[in-house]
Amino acid sequence: MSRPIDVKPFRSRVKKAFFLITSAILLFAVFLTDIIRRSVDIDAGWITFLRNVVVIAAFVLLYFLIEGLWRRDQNPAQKLGFLLVVSIVIGTAIALLSFFPSSGFDVKNYLLIPLGFDSIVMANIIGAVLGTLMLVMLLSLRDIIFSRRRKGTRRNFLIFVGCAAATALSTLSARPMETSFLSSLLLGLTVVAMLMNTFRLSWIVYLSKREKLFSMLYGFLLFGILVGFDYMVWSKTAPGKSLLFYSPPLQSFVSVVFLFSTIYFGMTFLSTLFHLPTAEAFDRKISEVASLHNLGRLVTQVFDFNELVDSVTRMTLEVCQAQSSWLEIIKEQNPRKALNEAVGTASAGEQVEPVGLKNISREEILGIVSSKDGSLRDLVLETLRPVVINDAGNDKRTAHLRNAKRKFESMVIVPLLSHNRAIGILYATKGMPFGFDQEDVDVISAFADQATIAIENSRLIEKSLERERLMREIMVAQEMQKKLLPQKLPVIPGVEIEALSSPAFEVGGDYYDFVQLDEHHLGIIVGDVSGKGVSAAFYMAEMKGIFQSLSKIHPSPRDFLAQAHSALSATIDKRSFISVIYTVLDLRDGTMTVARAGHCPMLHVSEGEAVFIKPIGLGLGMGTPSFFEQTVEQERIQMSHGDVAILFTDGITEARPSGGEEFGYERLLEIGKSSGKHSAVEIRDAIIMAVDRHMNHQSPEDDLTLVVIKWLRS
Amino acid sequence: MSDFKIGIRETSNVNVIDLKGYLDAHTAPELEDAFQKLVAERKYKIIVNCKDLSYISSAGLGVFMAFIEDVRNNQGDIKLSNMSSKVFNVFDLLGFPLLYEITKTEAEAIGKFMSSKK
Repeated sequence: MSRPIDVKPFRSRVKKAFFLITSAILLFAVFLTDIIRRSVDIDAGWITFLRNVVVIAAFVLLYFLIEGLWRRDQNPAQKLGFLLVVSIVIGTAIALLSFFPSSGFDVKNYLLIPLGFDSIVMANIIGAVLGTLMLVMLLSLRDIIFSRRRKGTRRNFLIFVGCAAATALSTLSARPMETSFLSSLLLGLTVVAMLMNTFRLSWIVYLSKREKLFSMLYGFLLFGILVGFDYMVWSKTAPGKSLLFYSPPLQSFVSVVFLFSTIYFGMTFLSTLFHLPTAEAFDRKISEVASLHNLGRLVTQVFDFNELVDSVTRMTLEVCQAQSSWLEIIKEQNPRKALNEAVGTASAGEQVEPVGLKNISREEILGIVSSKDGSLRDLVLETLRPVVINDAGNDKRTAHLRNAKRKFESMVIVPLLSHNRAIGILYATKGMPFGFDQEDVDVISAFADQATIAIENSRLIEKSLERERLMREIMVAQEMQKKLLPQKLPVIPGVEIEALSSPAFEVGGDYYDFVQLDEHHLGIIVGDVSGKGVSAAFYMAEMKGIFQSLSKIHPSPRDFLAQAHSALSATIDKRSFISVIYTVLDLRDGTMTVARAGHCPMLHVSEGEAVFIKPIGLGLGMGTPSFFEQTVEQERIQMSHGDVAILFTDGITEARPSGGEEFGYERLLEIGKSSGKHSAVEIRDAIIMAVDRHMNHQSPEDDLTLVVIKWLRS
Repeated sequence: MSDFKIGIRETSNVNVIDLKGYLDAHTAPELEDAFQKLVAERKYKIIVNCKDLSYISSAGLGVFMAFIEDVRNNQGDIKLSNMSSKVFNVFDLLGFPLLYEITKTEAEAIGKFMSSKK
């Protein structure tokens, strides 16, 4: 019986106008017919029949009109109220009308004959008015019964309406004052159908307490008024006879609807009466469920920590009408946090911080929670269970507050538990003793659980964002570090230079560089910062700066290293060091001056012989600068045509597959010895591939760096 | 991957730290704790016996450098002994023999402590 939403308001207005005008015309036609028949004595049965059909048609149209104007958004209590008002108005109107002296009706041959024009007028008015009231009542009943629909609701209601309609139509075959067997039978069926619908009262349960009270009142009043209407219509009072004369089918339908309404609203009154004792508890439960639902949604929506804790304490206040509420967050161990942010220490020296304070100050909290003998907080943290103080004045746990001025008499304290650890504590207080019952404690505990999830969620997201940020920083560092290594290799006729450096992680500690000291001298440096990761990368950058600036000022390798040692000792921390090997190649004659600071030796290959060049020298950052300078050596070697010099880091020699042995110096030596006619590129690749093979293609754990110089000048 | 064991014992008035296995970034903190403990007990005559040490990385080397100054300032020393040639090579490359006394045997190292007392 529900209509689809009209999306064309103009069309619906036209429809409504149509219904109104047509039914008005029909009713007026009936009125005219009655007047005419009183004056002119035409007694044709078919006119009566037609007249009755027209009345029925008119009220069917009226039904559609009223349905089109019907408001659907009221709750059942409001609908009852509306119906009550309409009934009172119409009832009063009819009562007033019946005070007017009227000619009344005469009964002849089971027919009603109007004794005066005023009777006709009265009958038409009463017919129209009672018919309208019936329609309003029928629609109200429909909406109220359907408000908690189940499978058979609609069917049962339609059966009732169908039976009532059948009963009404059966009166067409008989004369008004005659009781026909068929009508009585159908009426009986209708009453059964009525009773089938009488118990659709479950909508009462879900009303709020206030609505229940109003429904009870309205139900009672409607019952009373309807009893009056029933008497009016079923017995032969003047209005009753008027209605019967006006339209027997209408009278039948109206009386059935009124009877049904009487029974239904009587039941409504009784039912709401019996539901009143539990109304308050029911309201509370609904409110608790709604609060839990809201809080549950909060968990997924709010990631801002402060907003979250604020909502938790606010909802706690609302759901149990608490006077004040606050949350204590147990800080994750973070010694750098300023002490004055914490109110006090919980057991095991953890810091707590009160947040989301509602109607309470930090000083008051301090006074309440701690005492000389251990605090309420400790009690909750030890037992990890809720603590309920029903009467602060007489509870030994609040003995410290007995004589103090206090605003509360009862309190609930619930721990927020995550993985059997308390991450916080939720407090709620009330100004009267025994203010919290078990239901309240349960709800607050449920809140605490939700709050725990929300807080953990918020923390995890913070950590995750932080980690993402750090990852981005590392990527930036990686990009920058790539630029610190030579972007291109020196191109010198007669000298092949090849290099490779691959870090083990995103940022590494290996370094190699070239510098053109002057027209004839090329400086080549390979270095390795101890340690890994971002700090190694920082030292590497510093080393590059030192190299590019000081190497030109101190062209001799050992002088440069001594200066570098001195510069680095100022900044490097005592457990770190940088190992470096530095050689200056004289392009005119192929002499290489080599100095070494703690680094792997240089491999010199000449005519099938390979030897490691290993001058003495401490790592940069080890020992004092003066001791370094005293001990560092310098060697000079001569490159002949076809000679190769290989500088590398320990990533090559210490490359070890899991469960295997190191690549070692021997293997490197062998590759060097057999390098013979190969170009620098080939030698470089041969070494890299040998290491990779040795590693069984596992990725290396340390940075790998290699510089190969082949001297092809004479 | 990081199999490492550390032991501390006292003999002839000096404290010996026995290293066994791999000393790298993961296990270096254990050596650090050992030094920390000895320094806290004001035991500054320390010998690190490297007989069973199979590998040392820059992190491990850094631990020695972290404590040597403090130990020497208190009239003590950290001496190293019983290194395999492979491990010795690593120390040697960095120039440790210039800064630290590295002996073949523990007894030699103890001897050095005794003779320096005079």
